[in-house]
Amino acid sequence: MPPDNLTRLSIAEAGDLFRRRALSPVELTRAYLDRIRRLDGDLLAYITVLQDEALAAAAAAEREIARGEDRGPLHGIPIALKDLVMTRGVRTTCGSRILREWVPDTDATVARRLADAGAVLLGKLNMHEFAYGPTGVNPHYGTSRNPWDRHRIPGGSSSGSGVAVAAGLCAGALGTDTGGSVRIPAALCGIVGLKPTYGRVSRAGVIPLAWSLDHVGPMTRTVADAALLLQVLAGRDPADPSTSAMPVPDYRRALQGGVRGLRLGVPKDLFYERLDPEVRAAVAAAARSLEGLGAVVEEISLPTIQHAGPASFAIIASEAMAYHEPYLRTRAGEYGEDVRARLTTGQFVLAHQYLKAQRARQVIRADVDAVLTRVDALLTPTTPIPAPRPDEREITVDGVTQDARWWLIRCTRPINVTGHPALSVPCGLTAAGLPIGLQVVGRAFDEATLLRVGHAFESASPLKPRWPPLDL
Amino acid sequence: MASISVQLLQALTQELTGLPAIPGDLAIAASQLAAQLDGLARLDALDLLAVEPATVLVPPPEAPEGPHAA
Repeated sequence: MPPDNLTRLSIAEAGDLFRRRALSPVELTRAYLDRIRRLDGDLLAYITVLQDEALAAAAAAEREIARGEDRGPLHGIPIALKDLVMTRGVRTTCGSRILREWVPDTDATVARRLADAGAVLLGKLNMHEFAYGPTGVNPHYGTSRNPWDRHRIPGGSSSGSGVAVAAGLCAGALGTDTGGSVRIPAALCGIVGLKPTYGRVSRAGVIPLAWSLDHVGPMTRTVADAALLLQVLAGRDPADPSTSAMPVPDYRRALQGGVRGLRLGVPKDLFYERLDPEVRAAVAAAARSLEGLGAVVEEISLPTIQHAGPASFAIIASEAMAYHEPYLRTRAGEYGEDVRARLTTGQFVLAHQYLKAQRARQVIRADVDAVLTRVDALLTPTTPIPAPRPDEREITVDGVTQDARWWLIRCTRPINVTGHPALSVPCGLTAAGLPIGLQVVGRAFDEATLLRVGHAFESASPLKPRWPPLDL
Repeated sequence: MASISVQLLQALTQELTGLPAIPGDLAIAASQLAAQLDGLARLDALDLLAVEPATVLVPPPEAPEGPHAA
């Protein structure tokens, strides 16, 4: 098989070939490293590539598999991590100049779980500086380019993760999501992104943006691959007391259920107000497709969701400021201008506003919980617009002009406020060839239903194969 | 939309927080805050009297391994 075809394999397909001795982890890792070498000078998905370490890990995986020591579906699979996941002995920059040379002496729990599962770490991925922005624009390491149109942003903050997965520069990646930072680049890059329930996946060793809104999640080319990664990541971690002891189901099995009889809610409030016409059409078509597969789609109302935006602002601004205050005091000049300005804003959010936001959060979450007793999941656009250009500071939709960042986070940040799980799955392309994402929101700790809906939709989707127009 | 003066933010920074006050940053902060004040005020429309805040139980420990310790 030509090397570039190897990098199009899903995790499940590559694992199957490993076990049939039709492909080796070293062969697959070499194919990815070769593709990174050829394409990443332009795409800028990686901050650090671990060529020697990856080949050594792949060789070790190959020996283990040959001996019959099978660690599971991720054994020998080349993956990459957003560069705020601490990795022992490997610099973890957080996309910043401040941490450019910082080398942790311990692994984040999620990095360790992936390593224990036999995954091969290809490197650390580009991101919006300190994860504080949804565009991925980075003044220190360059801005990752959207592989569907290199003159457009990939979305952020997990920009490198979105680009690397979409462009075949890794088989899967981890991102983090505080206001949409897994789902936005997934939607804009045409891949799958899953923000699990708050407390489902450990954040120990992941540099925070806002403690009470941060989530770690997988970014993959298929829903089934997201299930494989989540299976390894999910579960209680003593190092992160916010993780839940809720049992972790078999996510692969959950994929098989189909959607017949599932009730899917379409919340008209907020999510469907002012959408790019092509996004509106693609999401409506996705809902019809799910109806065609046997789901019952109905409109529902979520009036309190309009308050999620201001609550999200107060919480992120305050918590990010609290984390960054020591750096702002001593190294303010080393931040990029956009992130430093946003951090500066945080010092003026009053304590009672922060706490009011945290109280409002309970009401909004209860409202979403109540709706999810009547329907099994919600369907919304992931972003109201497709990928903008980096210089598009303001965008007008339906006569309303707003900051591009505001548009990007409008449909995702409410779900960080409530903590429910949310999956972004590709649901179409614009006439200009830009990906569109469908967001599926589920009950707390019911990622299984999201994966089931996403897998059913993906399997029926006419969009396959969905590869960006890159020169090989 | 409310209006917030850069001079007010500069005074608060100097008197209260002691953080560097970069005029360009303060201008952006004034604009961002002004854009959010109405929405924050509207949170009062929710019945919050009997609601306790959703706060982090205990955040994952950073020290001694985290970057601040470096």
